[in-house]
Amino acid sequence: MKKNRNVGIIGVGQSVYSSHREEVNQPEMINEAVVEALESAGLTIDDVDCIVHGNMELFEMVHQPDLWHTLGTGALGKESLRVTTGGTTGATLVAAADHLVASGLHDVVLAIGFEKLQEGHTTGGITNMADPLWGRQLQTGALTGMTAAQMIEEFGEERAKKVAMKYRILMDQHAMKNHKAHRRLGLSPDQADELMENSPQLVGELRMIHMCSQSDGACAMVFASEEKATALCDQPAWIKDHVTAHREEMFCIFGDAPVLSTHRYAARKLYQRCGITNPREEIDLFEMYDPSSWWGSDWLREFLLLEGDEHLKMIENDEIAMDGAFPVNPSGGVIASNPIGATAMVRVAEAALQIMGRAGEHQVPKTVNQALASGFGGTMWTVLTLLTRQVPW
Amino acid sequence: MGLLTKATRFFKKYQAPSAGAPEEETEPLVRLNQVLSIPQRFATGPVMGKFLNAFKEKRILANKCPQCGRLQLPPREICAECRVRATEWVEVGPEGVIATPDITYYASPDPLTGETRETPYISAHFLLKGCKDHETLWHELKMTDFDKVKRGAKVRPVWSEKRVGAITDIKYFEIIE
Repeated sequence: MKKNRNVGIIGVGQSVYSSHREEVNQPEMINEAVVEALESAGLTIDDVDCIVHGNMELFEMVHQPDLWHTLGTGALGKESLRVTTGGTTGATLVAAADHLVASGLHDVVLAIGFEKLQEGHTTGGITNMADPLWGRQLQTGALTGMTAAQMIEEFGEERAKKVAMKYRILMDQHAMKNHKAHRRLGLSPDQADELMENSPQLVGELRMIHMCSQSDGACAMVFASEEKATALCDQPAWIKDHVTAHREEMFCIFGDAPVLSTHRYAARKLYQRCGITNPREEIDLFEMYDPSSWWGSDWLREFLLLEGDEHLKMIENDEIAMDGAFPVNPSGGVIASNPIGATAMVRVAEAALQIMGRAGEHQVPKTVNQALASGFGGTMWTVLTLLTRQVPW
Repeated sequence: MGLLTKATRFFKKYQAPSAGAPEEETEPLVRLNQVLSIPQRFATGPVMGKFLNAFKEKRILANKCPQCGRLQLPPREICAECRVRATEWVEVGPEGVIATPDITYYASPDPLTGETRETPYISAHFLLKGCKDHETLWHELKMTDFDKVKRGAKVRPVWSEKRVGAITDIKYFEIIE
């Protein structure tokens, strides 16, 4: 691994996330995030060399939304790129901005992810990822009960359901401390039993309470070269590395044989390149793209290269709580807020805020030297990003 | 659709920070509602075309990677893992077993028709005769007693009377009692 030059995150901005941002249109909503990101970086739009823009393809049925959004992004007369890689869009926006700055092509890049899910149909939109000749007649967006079924088979119904609800309630407790989060339900642990039985079923044992929201919102981040970042910001969050792992269409992972997940594959590759031998010890915090509390619980095992029921214990023992040994999603995660084209970027942005010490009420009570952020998309693929407090290379 | 409509009342609507401020004379917000209808045509290509055409004769064809030997269902032009053309054809099924079932309660739109689906419905990955490991076919399972919907349950396809070379030529699979 060799990087041409270091890249620092020096500004983060987020709109408020909500199910209905009907009081603003798309450019106005994006502008909220852009203004906050520039203010937090101490820059004006004149200081930005290039703008990278992305969301889910055609979710709002607007072709080339970046043109309309120029009003809110400030891209007029600047170089601009559009990135759209499904669920991973936000993480790919970060990767693209990192490449643009690391290459030496630009010194300051503004990346923007957004979604206004109320203006389209989320599940209808995601269903279009399936092959139109085969599978689209069955696909239900990103909803599936298979992980729940697998966890129940592996760990027994009672333990699996309890862990998924524990995870869900922990994430809500985190979201309660994040005033920008969409769903802040104020759940308490004593509601777990009632919710796991009475929350409406979506698919199998995946219930409404387990699933992520459909949110409106935007996130913007400012990336700068080492020289600029050091001059402009007391504590940038540095991009050490990122790995994207794709797979072919989801034809071959649902039978009776072991599956190597792209999460585990990407994690192995990232840790190897960055010399991490014990991720639980060496990484201080993880912002995970957790579309449901079943996936969130199950995927801990993959990302941390664990075996057996170690991941369940981490949830049962509160290790993943904000003040635990390995905090996961102090922001409340995707279950709390999911403006899809921004969602994977929010993971990196929140991890960066924790390193910079700017997360406010949901800042974890320890120094974050190294943070991990994941993106997840479509046919089960992964983008993993590693951020550091020290200049990495 | 009822479930979600009901559920949204649990989620608070965002209130702009100015919401509590003294009321100004403002114009009401306008929201435009539109329903789109878009005609689409999809080319099958020769490989998927062969697979779909065989449905007319009630046959299910997989193709085989010459390098790793795995079957692909539905067949694809190449094996993505070995990056070689998959040229050998193998007839599989028609009977098989359930590998992974999923019972869907959430009523979502089918983008191919624009119609909202009837729920609940059961989709499953089926391991047909002659297939192993992950060589499954994803299709619908006929609505039945949920207790019977288990891994390993034996199934057979139920074919449409009029078959046109589409995945829907198999109406669904049903459990063999």
